[in-house]
Amino acid sequence: MFGQFFQTIFQADFLFIIIRITAPILFAALAAVISEKAGVANIGLEGMMMITALFGFLFAYWTQSWVVGVLGAMLIGILLGLMMGFFSFKLKTDIILSGIAVNMLGTGGTIFLLYMFTGLRGNTGALVSPNILIPTIDIPLINKIPILGDMLSGHAILTYLAFIFVFVMRTFLYRTPLGLKIRAVGENPNAASSVGVSVIRMKYIAIAMSGALAGLGGAFMSMYYSQGWNQGMVAGRGFIALAAQAMGRGEPVGAMFSSVLFGLAQAMKTKVSGLRGMASYNYLIEMIPYVVTIIGLVFYAVSIKRKARRHQLRPIKEKLQ
Amino acid sequence: MRDKRMVLFGFVRGAAAIALALAVGTIFIFLSSDEPFTALKYLLIGPFVSFHGGVTAFNTQNFYQVLAAMIPTIFTGLAVCVMFSANQFNLAAEGCVLVGGFVGALVGIYVNMATGWHAVICVLAATVVCGLIMLIPSILKVKLGASEMVTSLMLNFVLLYIVLHFLNYHFADRSKGATMTYPFLDSAKISSIVPGNSKLTWGFVIALVISFVIWVFMYRTRWGYAIRMIGINESFSLYSGMNVGGTIVLSSVIGGMLSGMGGSLEVLGRYNTFVWRELPGYGWTGVTIAILAKNNPGLVPLAAFFLAYLNKGCQLMSTHSDVPSEMIDIIQAAIFLFFAAEQFLSGYRQKLVVKTTREELMKAESLKATEGE
Repeated sequence: MFGQFFQTIFQADFLFIIIRITAPILFAALAAVISEKAGVANIGLEGMMMITALFGFLFAYWTQSWVVGVLGAMLIGILLGLMMGFFSFKLKTDIILSGIAVNMLGTGGTIFLLYMFTGLRGNTGALVSPNILIPTIDIPLINKIPILGDMLSGHAILTYLAFIFVFVMRTFLYRTPLGLKIRAVGENPNAASSVGVSVIRMKYIAIAMSGALAGLGGAFMSMYYSQGWNQGMVAGRGFIALAAQAMGRGEPVGAMFSSVLFGLAQAMKTKVSGLRGMASYNYLIEMIPYVVTIIGLVFYAVSIKRKARRHQLRPIKEKLQ
Repeated sequence: MRDKRMVLFGFVRGAAAIALALAVGTIFIFLSSDEPFTALKYLLIGPFVSFHGGVTAFNTQNFYQVLAAMIPTIFTGLAVCVMFSANQFNLAAEGCVLVGGFVGALVGIYVNMATGWHAVICVLAATVVCGLIMLIPSILKVKLGASEMVTSLMLNFVLLYIVLHFLNYHFADRSKGATMTYPFLDSAKISSIVPGNSKLTWGFVIALVISFVIWVFMYRTRWGYAIRMIGINESFSLYSGMNVGGTIVLSSVIGGMLSGMGGSLEVLGRYNTFVWRELPGYGWTGVTIAILAKNNPGLVPLAAFFLAYLNKGCQLMSTHSDVPSEMIDIIQAAIFLFFAAEQFLSGYRQKLVVKTTREELMKAESLKATEGE
C-alpha cells in the first residue's frame, strides 16, 4: 500500500493539483494577512468567498465574460468588506460578530439570493458554459521542460495571479507609504493617529482590500475549481486561510508556505481516497486538512511562545554575563 | 432614575434593531416574491395562527412546535453565553451538538438497562463526552495561546467527519436505504409532555431548568463571577489572583457539556434513529441567541423563543409562498449586526444621559437651596 502511495505522490500531476488547490486558500490567506496587518480580524472570509463566488459566477453568466465575473466578484467582496467595516468601526459591532454575520449570509443567504436572481435552488449547474470559466494558459518554454512543465504550465490565470500577489503584497506592505500606514495602524493605533494617520480610514482600506482578495478566491472557486456554484463549495477554506495567516506569522510569504501546506493536505486527501483499500476510511481522510490545520496552529503557537521567552530571558542573561 | 431610563433605552434599541432587520427581510421578500403579502402573513403571524377555510384561529400544534424547536437552541445559547462571558470566541458548540446527539444515540441503542434511568444515562454520557472535547481548544488556548476561535472552527469539521466515519462504517443499519443507525430502545427516548406530533418533550422543561441553574451559576457563585470578570478585564483578574487559565477551561467545558446535553435531548426526543449527516447549525443559532440575550442566561429562553418563532415563520412562508426558507439567515445576520452594534442609536443615548444628568443637577441644587433656607 505504501509503495502505491508514494507512486501517486511523486508525480507531476500531484504537484499540479497541489498548486491548483492552494490558489483559493492563498487568496483568502492574503486577505487575512492584509486585514490582520491593520489589526482587523476578518473571520467573515468564509462567507465572503461564498457570496463572491456566487456573484462572480452570476456576473459572468449575465455578461458571458469571465473577466466581468472576476471583477464583479472583487467588487462584491469590497462592498462586503466595507459593510463589515461600517458596522464594526462606525457602529462598534465586535469585528468577530460582524464576521459571523457575513458567514451566515454566506451559508443561507446565498441560497436565497441564488433563488431570487435565477429561480434555481442549491447550485448553478444548469448555467455553466465554457466561456464563463476562467481560461488556463500554457507558459511558453516552461511547458517544454518535462516535469516542471507539467507542474507549472496549464494553470488558470488566477492561479498564477495568487502567487504573484504574494510578492505584490509584500512590496505593498513594506515598500509603499500606504502599506507603512496600514502596518502602523495595526501595530499601534495611538502612535499612528498621533502622527496624523487616520486609523479608521486605514482599517477601511485594509478590509476592502481583504474583501477584494476574498473575491478573487471566491471567483476562482466557482468559475474554475468547481465549475459552477454550489452550497458546500468553499468547505471551510476561509477558516483554513485564517489558520494559514496565523501560521505564516501574518507575513505574505509565510502565509504562502502555510497555504501550500494546507493545499498539500487537501491534495493528499483526494489522492489517498482513490487508493485501493482506503475506501472505508474516506471520512477520516476528509478530516486531514482540518487536523493538519490544528496541528499547524499548535506548532505556530509553541514557536511564538518560545520566541517570547527568549526575548524575555535575553536581557537577564546579558546582565549575568 | 438613570437606570430606569437606560433599561428602557435598552428595550427601545433592541426593538429598533429587530424592526430594522425585519424591514431588511421585507425588502428582500418584495424583491423576490410574486405574492409578498402572503409571504409576509405567514412569516409574521403564521406560527400561531391557522388560516384554514377562511377561519383564523390559534394554532396549538404550531405553538408546541415552536417551543419544541427551542430545546437544542436554548442549550447552545447557554453554552455560547458562558463561553463568550469569559471572552472566549469558542465556536465548537456546533460540533458538540452533533457529537452529543451521536453519543446519546449510541448509548440509547447499545446499552440495555432498566427503564427510567436509561435516558438519563444517555444524556449524561453525551454531556461528559462533549465536556471532554472542549478541553482541546481551551487547553490549547490557555497553555499555548493558540486562537480558540480557529481551533474550534477546525474542530467542528474534524468532529463531523469522525461522526460520519463511525456512523457509516460501524453503526449503520444496512437494511435501510439511507444511512442511519438502528432505532433507539424505547427506554432511551425522551417522552412528549403534550399530545400530538409536535415533539415538545421533557427536554423543554429541562432546558428551562438548566437556564435557571446557569443563571444562578453565572450571577450567584464565585466561579460565575470569575468567568464574567475575566471577560470584562483579564489582566485585572490575573493581578487580583484569580486562576484565569483554569476558569477559561472551566467555562469552555461547561459550554461543551451544555451543547452535548442539548444535542442528545434533541436527538432522543425528536427522532427514532440517528439521522444527522451534517452539522445541524444549532451552534450558530446559539451565537445569535447569546448576542440577543446579551450573554445573560436568564434571557436565553426568550431569545430562543424569538428565533424559533422566526424560523417557523420562515418555514411556513416557504411552504405557502415562493420565498425560500433560507431567508432566515438574512434576517438573522441583520439582527446580529444591529443588535451587537454598540453605537447603534448612540446619539439618542447621549441625549438621554445629558437629560438625566441635568435633571439630577437641578434636583441637587434645589435640595441645596432648601437646605440653605
